[in-house]
Amino acid sequence: MPSAVHVFDASSPWRLSNQVSLRDEAFGALAYHHGNRRLVFLKSPELVALVRSLEEFASADEAIDAVVASGQHQRYVQALSSLLNSEILCGR
Amino acid sequence: EELLVEEV
Repeated sequence: MPSAVHVFDASSPWRLSNQVSLRDEAFGALAYHHGNRRLVFLKSPELVALVRSLEEFASADEAIDAVVASGQHQRYVQALSSLLNSEILCGR
Repeated sequence: EELLVEEV
């Protein structure tokens, strides 16, 4: 059965999945999904801070604006979209 | 230019 197609909308609220363990590392963090057994490397501390803070904001856009340096917005939208495809993130 | 996310 093909996996579900995930569409990331940066104007929507997101959070870290309850099935994911996040371990801080020097390069950023490792995320392990206990359901689909995917291991994902988050390769910047800013991305880790962003993922941890998503639940505090009404949208991913707001979280990015608060956590990430200006000029990097689209890059982090793409990163969050990748994390949704891996089911590291989920909607709320 | 580096990818922020990589998956295994």
